[in-house]
Amino acid sequence: EEDGEFLGMKGLRGQLGRQVADQMWQVGKRQASRAFSLYANIDILRPYFDVEPVQVRARLLESMIPVKMINFPQKIAGELYGPLMLVFTLVAILLHGMKTSDTIIREGTLMGTAIGTCFGYWLGVSSFMYFLAYLCNAQITMVQMLSLLGYGLFGHCITLFVTYNIHFHSLFYIFWLVVGGLSTLRMVAVLVSRTVGHTQRLILCGTLAALHMLFLLYLHFAYHKVVEGILDTLEGPNMPPFQRVARDIPVVSNAVLNTTAKAIALT
Amino acid sequence: MSNFEQFHFDFYQSNYTIDDQEEGCNSYGSDKNLCESRKSQTEKQPAAGAFVPSDMLLSPQSYTGQILQPACSPGTLSQFGYADGFDEEPPLLEELGINFEHIWQKTLTVLNPMKPADGSIMNETDLTGPMVFCLALGATLLMAGKVHFGYVYGMSAIGCLAMHALLNLMSASGVSHGCVASVLGYCLLPMVILSSSAVLFSLQGIPGTVLALFIIGWCSLSASKIFTSALAMEGQQLLIAYPCALLYGLFALLTVF
Repeated sequence: EEDGEFLGMKGLRGQLGRQVADQMWQVGKRQASRAFSLYANIDILRPYFDVEPVQVRARLLESMIPVKMINFPQKIAGELYGPLMLVFTLVAILLHGMKTSDTIIREGTLMGTAIGTCFGYWLGVSSFMYFLAYLCNAQITMVQMLSLLGYGLFGHCITLFVTYNIHFHSLFYIFWLVVGGLSTLRMVAVLVSRTVGHTQRLILCGTLAALHMLFLLYLHFAYHKVVEGILDTLEGPNMPPFQRVARDIPVVSNAVLNTTAKAIALT
Repeated sequence: MSNFEQFHFDFYQSNYTIDDQEEGCNSYGSDKNLCESRKSQTEKQPAAGAFVPSDMLLSPQSYTGQILQPACSPGTLSQFGYADGFDEEPPLLEELGINFEHIWQKTLTVLNPMKPADGSIMNETDLTGPMVFCLALGATLLMAGKVHFGYVYGMSAIGCLAMHALLNLMSASGVSHGCVASVLGYCLLPMVILSSSAVLFSLQGIPGTVLALFIIGWCSLSASKIFTSALAMEGQQLLIAYPCALLYGLFALLTVF
């Protein structure tokens, strides 16, 4: 019947429905809070932040020194403080570079772009390399991969900090090869020491080297456009001097003259 | 002052008294003597932790009779409360928990980063000083022609969240949001000096950059000094100073450009 008669009792269907909905809500809330407390427990990350300043400094310097031992797995510091600070430093350097060059980001904000780029690279490439390492049977954990790639950003930070302030293309290429190359070699050596088989080593290290070096190239050229304009005017002796040539387009100028005369004659 | 205590003891015969006094104890540590005397008074009350309904039964009995009597003795006059107790009420600033002496002490601690900080000064969460400094930063930026109030508040909020997460991960004892917000807000004061100097001359140049770097160092040194003394993380002052420097560097970018 229309007025909610169920089993002979009016309004029971509505009440039953409400009770069922209430119970489902309670169960759902309990499960969600349990899952949240399990996965969003920040204390899982606590051991990775237990460092001393001396250790961080030593690891920063070591990230630029490739170690040639490839027959025995090299040690990777499973630490997240240094990599996190390096990513934030890269964000700050990018922001500074964007501000000094008056870069305009049309869809988004400067801050959002910088954070998205840097964190996207760190987390995304780490995950991709971890997946590749899983396929190539390499002995490396996710935290170690994050740590390795994070410390590899130290070379990027140095290069960008210098070349965003001193604008010379050739200087950037030297830094790209030397500094970028050293940090790439360090990461490649670590990965080679932890992988068995020539094909696997080639896949893993080739991918990492390509992504790492191309990222530095991208950061330099995408976020410092003014560099191009300045350098063109600085390369004086090689370019012919700027010549002023009179614009002579007779057809157009005659047509314009005629239409203007007609317009004036009409008024 | 004793009249004031007596007023509280007689008039508020419910849980409200205890909570009010407990809050008072937490707000200003310098009034410890007053708090202890108040606390001893609450312990003397028999129904100190009782539920509100039973207290409400007691209180009407104690003062309802006095309200119905138009002619009252001067001793019970004070028990009428708000009608006549305007002089007896705590001052507004004390009720709000704003203690100018403490604000001044903390400001001096920030302005002198070389002086060792007392670990207990950050026990009370005071957000008045930080709010004033954020407003001052926005105002000085406004005087330089930049309307960036939203950026200041947004970056402060996100910076506080990030620092809170990092400090909780790095310290043995946890830290609350309010404490982090309070410390970071107080250490924003040198940035106000930088933005007020931006009104006088442009900071986009070598002297501006040097001044900005100096101010960033000053802010982050003060903040890390207070954090390490409050959280007992002596060897890691540089590790805390660096993220603070990054955060204040963002504020400096806002000020300079």
